[in-house]
Amino acid sequence: MTNNEAFFGRQLPLRTAPTPELTGTPALKALGSRLQCQRCGHWLGPDDQLANQAWYCRQCLQLGRLTSQDKLYTIPEPNQSPKLANGGLTWTGELSAQQRVAAQSVLAHVQAQTNHLLWAVTGAGKTEIVYPALAWALSQGWRVAWTSPRVDVCLELAPRLQAAFADVPQTVLYGDQPQPYRYCPLTVCTTHQLLRFKAAFDLIVVDEVDAFPLATSPMLKRAIDHAQKPSGCHLYLTATPGERLQRRVARKELAVTYVPLRYHGHLLPQIDLQIAWRWREQLRRRKLPARLIHQLRGYLRAGQRFLLFVPHVADLAVVDQALHLAGITGGVTVHAADEARQEKVQAMRDQKVAFLVTTTILERGVTFPNVAVVILGGDDPVFSTAALVQIAGRVGRSAQFPTGDVTCYCHSYARRVRLARGMIARLNLQGRRQGGRP
Amino acid sequence: MNACVWCGRRLGGVVTVSQLWRWGPLIKSAVCAACQTRLTPISILHCPQCGRQQTDETICRDCQRWTGPPLVNHALYVYDAAMKAYMQQYKFQGDFALRRVLQEPLRLALARETYDVLVPIPVDQATWQQRGFNQVTGWLQTQPFQQDLLVRASHKDQPQSAKDRAARLRTAQPFILAPHAADILMGQRVLLLDDVYTTGRTLRHAAAQIYLGGAKAVTSLTLAR
Repeated sequence: MTNNEAFFGRQLPLRTAPTPELTGTPALKALGSRLQCQRCGHWLGPDDQLANQAWYCRQCLQLGRLTSQDKLYTIPEPNQSPKLANGGLTWTGELSAQQRVAAQSVLAHVQAQTNHLLWAVTGAGKTEIVYPALAWALSQGWRVAWTSPRVDVCLELAPRLQAAFADVPQTVLYGDQPQPYRYCPLTVCTTHQLLRFKAAFDLIVVDEVDAFPLATSPMLKRAIDHAQKPSGCHLYLTATPGERLQRRVARKELAVTYVPLRYHGHLLPQIDLQIAWRWREQLRRRKLPARLIHQLRGYLRAGQRFLLFVPHVADLAVVDQALHLAGITGGVTVHAADEARQEKVQAMRDQKVAFLVTTTILERGVTFPNVAVVILGGDDPVFSTAALVQIAGRVGRSAQFPTGDVTCYCHSYARRVRLARGMIARLNLQGRRQGGRP
Repeated sequence: MNACVWCGRRLGGVVTVSQLWRWGPLIKSAVCAACQTRLTPISILHCPQCGRQQTDETICRDCQRWTGPPLVNHALYVYDAAMKAYMQQYKFQGDFALRRVLQEPLRLALARETYDVLVPIPVDQATWQQRGFNQVTGWLQTQPFQQDLLVRASHKDQPQSAKDRAARLRTAQPFILAPHAADILMGQRVLLLDDVYTTGRTLRHAAAQIYLGGAKAVTSLTLAR
């Protein structure tokens, strides 16, 4: 790697110029009476000053501190990578008929360089649908970023892309990675890492665009806009776009491709709503709703494995105790800060445990063949509409077991549950038109 | 904006009747209630020499191994995971605003100490250039202090925090007295102020130089032990 490559399409903070011909721009720029960070767009507060009178940005501190003594150095992206004949695609899998239609549409939008949303239900095979478009972009010598707000999504995706595009040099960037930066035509990175780029990418694929923290962070949205070339475009992938994205689609500001059917051609399981009046007061007395107990006992008898979602980490122990009192045993609890999280999830995959009691951490990105899903307290604010649809999407992902039960126990018929049911119903309506089977 | 400097969550400002009654300026806390309990204060059961948190009040093994004049150190907090996270963000990432987390506890601690001259441990020139502040003086608000120590120019091959115990103990004297320091220090009770007491090597080197300046007594105060 020549020294210049590290600067292609990037913005690197340095105190002095690396080579005399490079001119930097100030890292903090005064606009009116206030300073703005040129990396993350944060407006500095009146107290963000060091003892040596320099100013610094507190928002993007994790990426290395920017002070008013630093300058950002960049070399415009030259697109020097070799153009491979078919984009280096070595993937030999087959797309289903409706995946092919969606892939055609995505390819057409990428070729026209327009921003695009691929709204594909959970378990539709989003990644594979993008492969033809990605191969075309790489064959044009484009520089492409595949980014996600979640690091585990990036880490899970990188080996798949490496296998599917074996001839394309690729690099993975995330917070505490061991390897140094490499200039590659295909970059897989977390959305935070895009802050280090400036007008670098011709195409940015944003995976799980509705996931935390991207959905609520203006800094990360700005990062995507700035890392993309003015002539470039981006492609959003999600199963559950938020209200804002849906509004943009409705206003025709954003083109959209729907994939309402899963790859095996079955419809999404609808959420079955059960009213469990004052379940929280019941739980305080270590009791669960009678119907829930009956249902779970039935699952255990039939040997059906299930996931039980509860709203908060604090509820896990209580629910576990209540289950024990009701004679439902053989499961484990999992939460985000659990040290044995990976092992427990793996044990569930290996069918060593009968059920998992968990919080929203397992809402996306995990696949268990043949599970049922039960949500206790679906009316709690932690279960957003998107979360409920994602949770329902854990069911029936494999072709052998394409159906299953999703039951949601609520104190009341909450708006978010209603919207989630509405979203699933709407997608299933479209799916039925395309020949989906229930 | 009224937010906690450490975790960034909004501070719920509750004004009590007694605050209104006193009619004084409202004291705004810099950190939220949750962050205030993150650091573990050292209780009364500590080593009388180095201030380490213990289960009794006997002199700890590390202090027994030191030879030479004893140095009495007081420490405010246990150097645990939360303190490490704080120091990482404040010192090494350079988030100067985090100084406000410990300004108030340090003010109260200094009020309890008996001393004439306060001497913070200095940082060397390269660190000052890089970091843009001295982490120790950042915690001081209006308390007067004297920068009577300087770091030798030839020092600094490796930061203290990157060494193990044996290498730390071998560290040569890094400090020299500032010009005219003797005028200030002669016959005074001096309090040294530092961020972390780990082996006590740095503070003992500093104390030795202060004694050379003619000080009557030297004690020290650190944020963490």
